[in-house]
Amino acid sequence: MMLLPCPWCGPRNAGEFKYAGEGGARPDPATTTPEEWRRYLYFHANTRGWVTESWYHGAGCRRWLVVERHTLTHEVRGVRDAVQVAREGTR
Amino acid sequence: MSETTAAAVARSPIAASPATVLDGWEVSARAATGASTLSDETPLAKVLVRAPFDGASRKALGVRFGRTEHTDVGSGEVLLVGSAPGEWLTLGAPGTAPALRTALEERLAGTGEFTSVLDLTHGRALMRLQGPAATTVLAGVCAIDLADTVTPDGTALRTSVAAVVTDVVRDDVSGVRSYLLHCERSSGQYLWDALLDAGSRSAVEVTGFRGLGSAGSAR
Ligand SMILES: [Zn+2]
Repeated sequence: MMLLPCPWCGPRNAGEFKYAGEGGARPDPATTTPEEWRRYLYFHANTRGWVTESWYHGAGCRRWLVVERHTLTHEVRGVRDAVQVAREGTR
Repeated sequence: MSETTAAAVARSPIAASPATVLDGWEVSARAATGASTLSDETPLAKVLVRAPFDGASRKALGVRFGRTEHTDVGSGEVLLVGSAPGEWLTLGAPGTAPALRTALEERLAGTGEFTSVLDLTHGRALMRLQGPAATTVLAGVCAIDLADTVTPDGTALRTSVAAVVTDVVRDDVSGVRSYLLHCERSSGQYLWDALLDAGSRSAVEVTGFRGLGSAGSAR
């Protein structure tokens, strides 16, 4: 079983989560261009190494999470609630 | 409304056979003789509260995420469940949902927070798996550690149970292991069948509605 540690629910089967891709600052919808918006939505760096990702715990706490994960080893060194990350203004 | 119209009977998504009517709900007329049982608790009033997870509402409700409390908010005995961050599920006796909703709204009115209180009674399914085999049966259909050290009595969590997103609430009755399982109404019959299937080797029997408090279960 591949586990992901949820900050609310504890370690859970990765199947309980929805992977929502690499995180990153969202462009301002009021001023962004279609090109920038498309890149934000669909382009990924696909880094082999540490990546900051968004996951959604749909079968658990139903919170969005910001996960720091190593894509080669699946080591996870940080998981935080996305609301708390947004409040702190850091990613 | 004609005077000859029969009183409406509410039905759980879980088919009862043989059936009888209790508090306006069609319920199972079965009475198990064995120690490990599965009962349909859908008739219980189910009211959901949503509010910020770390503010005044949480203080007003007095239950944090992951824990439960038997209490009375002004509508009779309820089980208050911290079902998710910023989400509480309250279970009360059949027919008490409107009073429970009002009581919860009154309790949250002074918090100044944006909250919502919603009656989910007819939109969800609720069942109780109880007895010495409950842990083994549940462990067969979910990936949660059910040991006392990890999930003691009074624990609430949400996880995948037989591939259905389910609130799992440990609510022991007089020291006997007991789990309430709460899911979307449309998955109710499936989850029920999956639990009976998983429990067939442990002699889990269907029994009638138990309810909270002393109805069918001494507390
Ligand atoms: Zn979670």
